[in-house]
Amino acid sequence: MNYLAVLLDEKRFSDIKGSPLESKVTDMFGGAIKALIMEVPDDRANKIIDGLPGARLDARFFIEEAPIAFKRALFEKIKSMKSIGIEVIDAVLTELPKIKELAVKESEVLPVPDIDISDALALQKK
Amino acid sequence: MELRIKSLPPPHGGALVDRVVRDPERGKKLAAGCSAVYDITPTLYKDMPVRNVYREIMSICYGFFSPVEGSMTSAELERLLKERRLLSGWIFPFPMLFDISEEEYKKLGVSEGDRLLIRLKGQPFAILDIEEVYKINPLEVSTRTFGTPEANPEVVKVPFDTKHPGFNIYSSFKPIVLAGKYRIINEPKLRKPFDRFWYPPAKSREEFKKRGWTTVIAHQTRNVPHTGHEALMRNAAFIGDTKPCDGIIVNAIIGAKRIGDYPDEAIVESHEMVNLAGYVSPKRHLVTITLWDMRYGNPIESLLHGIIRQNMGVSWHMFGRDHAALGPYYDMYAAQTLWEKGIPSFGFEAPPYAVDFGVHMRPQNMAEFWYCPHCKEVTYSENCTHKDELQRFSGSFIRSLLAEGVFPPGVIMRPEVYKIVVKWWKEFGYPFNNKKYLTEREKELEIDLPPMDVPKFK
Repeated sequence: MNYLAVLLDEKRFSDIKGSPLESKVTDMFGGAIKALIMEVPDDRANKIIDGLPGARLDARFFIEEAPIAFKRALFEKIKSMKSIGIEVIDAVLTELPKIKELAVKESEVLPVPDIDISDALALQKK
Repeated sequence: MELRIKSLPPPHGGALVDRVVRDPERGKKLAAGCSAVYDITPTLYKDMPVRNVYREIMSICYGFFSPVEGSMTSAELERLLKERRLLSGWIFPFPMLFDISEEEYKKLGVSEGDRLLIRLKGQPFAILDIEEVYKINPLEVSTRTFGTPEANPEVVKVPFDTKHPGFNIYSSFKPIVLAGKYRIINEPKLRKPFDRFWYPPAKSREEFKKRGWTTVIAHQTRNVPHTGHEALMRNAAFIGDTKPCDGIIVNAIIGAKRIGDYPDEAIVESHEMVNLAGYVSPKRHLVTITLWDMRYGNPIESLLHGIIRQNMGVSWHMFGRDHAALGPYYDMYAAQTLWEKGIPSFGFEAPPYAVDFGVHMRPQNMAEFWYCPHCKEVTYSENCTHKDELQRFSGSFIRSLLAEGVFPPGVIMRPEVYKIVVKWWKEFGYPFNNKKYLTEREKELEIDLPPMDVPKFK
């Protein structure tokens, strides 16, 4: 079996809070990260990896580095279908052409994180 | 009984290769004896640069690949592919070839006994004294280099194909090989930020002596470090003689990479940040580089790593699961198998340190480090029994995290390390190692060459 981790930031977590999905949230790395872990059969995993630029299976059998557009679409489907079952994967796969179009644009629209890195640069200067 | 290790291991082959002319006047004289000139271009696969032979020339001439001195002859190539031995008998994993096309060969008009001037970025770079000209079948070289399930059943699980970048490198070679020794005649200058990580074997050995290091362990990297890497480095370094290793060197492989990988600039600087931010004292931690287009050859790549680092003066080398691996081709423990008992089908009835003409460094085969919520720390898999709770580290997972704009928690990645990733994200954009970055990097490369006037060639 392969897996997909859908990361939950505060916004996404609040979107599913109170729904049956809340009980399916997994704490990763001692609670530092919250995620919904989905099981993905081989045939669907292959469709995702073959169909999306960058997507790959890591050593844990998790599909990683899929375009952000795919992760966003996946979360939206989870939220609307209130499920992390295979039907959610199938629903997202029907939108693959549109996701691929959005993925192409990601290099232009994915912003650099707005964080202060001056302390790291100061260490380098020192 | 003497327990202390008081000296660094000898270079592989007995002596460090140094084929760099540091006097420009002598370089000019050598260039004047050339009968033709060749401008290096990158090896392309589907129009993307996947290898540049200049990196091999650098690593050979500066001694990283000692005792190899140049592009291999047909007899040496054959012996290497059969037994992973050079004609001298010393073990070596990969073919080193100066390949050109039929058209280029006709245009050059060179033959055995000629001297070829090799130009890079428009400037004289090196010479090649041609000993032999022969033809190869690149696909066959590639297949035999990496092995097959039939010929190497101990470790090769599925046939190599075009999804494997190393396989694509060799199968994209041009069919004519000019064999002979290289000599760099125009001393290059490493570009920033790589210049401060440039420790060719002679220099690294000097540095170790200056620091009083006689026991050094090497960490291979092609990645930005997460806390699992850091735990591996720190714990592996507890090996030593009467005390833990004096030094830990991180040796980053710098060269063509895949789209989505971290830029090399981020890799070297983020490893350096581990010591600048005090997680491993800079007194016992040194970040270095080797120029090489990674072949992802798992066990055979690990052999190259062992040779490079022994040449640099290293006594131990960490080898983990899936070392320098990609995809399902090799068994995930193939590198550790090589270093524990050997792989007969690759010419190793015993581990590389236990065969004639073998290496003089020892493997430190490590299992796995993972985060255990129960132990509340990064733990060693052979210690921690909370198998149902473990959280494995994954570089791909962390890259996904970053792409989604999530500041990685400190339990996964040090904040200072992440900030170095952001620094280079600002510079090069996203996705990491995008097509533009890879293409431009292959134009700029990691070195600059000073102008050198030499006779004009046709």
